[in-house]
Amino acid sequence: MSALDPTAAPLPDEARPGKAPRPAPAPRSWPERLRSAAMRLALTTLAGLMLAAIVHIVTILLIPVLSQRDAAHAYRNLGSEGHAEIVPPAGNASGLPPLQEADPNAVTAICGYDLSAGPMRVVAHIGTLPLGLTLHRQGGGVIYAITDRAAIRGVLEFLVMTEAQYDERVANDEEGETSRELRVVSDTAQGLIVARVLAKRPSDRADAEALATGIQCGMAN
Amino acid sequence: MRILDLATILGLGAGLGLVSAHWAVAGRPVVGKVEVGSWMAWPGSGSRDVDPYMRAYLARGVHLPIGAGEGLELIAERSDDGAPLEGRCRYRVSGTIPPSRGWTLGVTDGAGRPFHLPLERVSFTDSEIVRGEDGGLSITAAAAAQAGNWLPLPAGGRFQLRLRLYDTPVSSQTGETRAANLPRITRIDCR
Repeated sequence: MSALDPTAAPLPDEARPGKAPRPAPAPRSWPERLRSAAMRLALTTLAGLMLAAIVHIVTILLIPVLSQRDAAHAYRNLGSEGHAEIVPPAGNASGLPPLQEADPNAVTAICGYDLSAGPMRVVAHIGTLPLGLTLHRQGGGVIYAITDRAAIRGVLEFLVMTEAQYDERVANDEEGETSRELRVVSDTAQGLIVARVLAKRPSDRADAEALATGIQCGMAN
Repeated sequence: MRILDLATILGLGAGLGLVSAHWAVAGRPVVGKVEVGSWMAWPGSGSRDVDPYMRAYLARGVHLPIGAGEGLELIAERSDDGAPLEGRCRYRVSGTIPPSRGWTLGVTDGAGRPFHLPLERVSFTDSEIVRGEDGGLSITAAAAAQAGNWLPLPAGGRFQLRLRLYDTPVSSQTGETRAANLPRITRIDCR
């Protein structure tokens, strides 16, 4: 290895002419080492906690998106015959999971909706028992609730549609005329229409079931 | 050493983040809870703008909460003296119930499931109650048979009382409701 060799490694400071040798670093004392380790542990823990907060928030937000065990997935096929179907009790033959935290005095019937083929029309003939209709979107949240007190001539009727279908329907409305349809916009294409009828006495249960299953849900057009 | 630090950060972050998320939504979340006397309610659970914790809790099971315009569900885990509700004690539920089209008052376990007791009476509705001369409400919850409106309890262990109000104006103003407008839960005695 010659001094003219450009690939040669530079000479150490001690070997360079005219340079004073650098003093060797003094060994660190135990308190300094402990302080350094504690600082490192604190920074690592802080970084871990910050990551934990991010993981926590992301997990909470992702659970409704990824869940396949929620009511919207479990009951999505109920109501495919054009009328609401009663939520089956535990241990039913259809294998559907029972509704959790359900009121034993209320009859719950469901129409699953999928608006990809078009808006859905819901028609409910009211009776003497309290009836509530709610729209539960996939991913959580009740986007609409109405009770039988809003019925006109004994009938509750509304359309469920997406924002695009709503715009299309408004564009097709007759100029200058006010539509009498009650239009409910769902921000998800899938969801559940849930009818709950309160059976105030055990003898009311048959009436409540008839009322709940009598709710029609089909294509609007 | 740097790999060890990175492993610590990742382990702590993933572990603590997932465990805390599971813990936060394993039961009804603290976020969004409204307490009125002994009763708890989550009025946001049946609304369009349900908070992320309640949304995650509801998505983990087959839940269909009562809609905000449909009614309100109130849950009690403690009596008015602050003690947890236990099957070995007797309780009196009395007072007033907010105006509604109908209500039900039931006994459930911590997960909201009715108990399987020999007597098939897990709840009362407003039409099934026998009222006193003054029209007041008085229900006795106990494991042993009681005179009047008897709500059977399990012989032991914790339980919840669930009051469901259908078509009630209270659902939109749960936070402003005073405890005096809801039924009192008085512990009579314990075995």
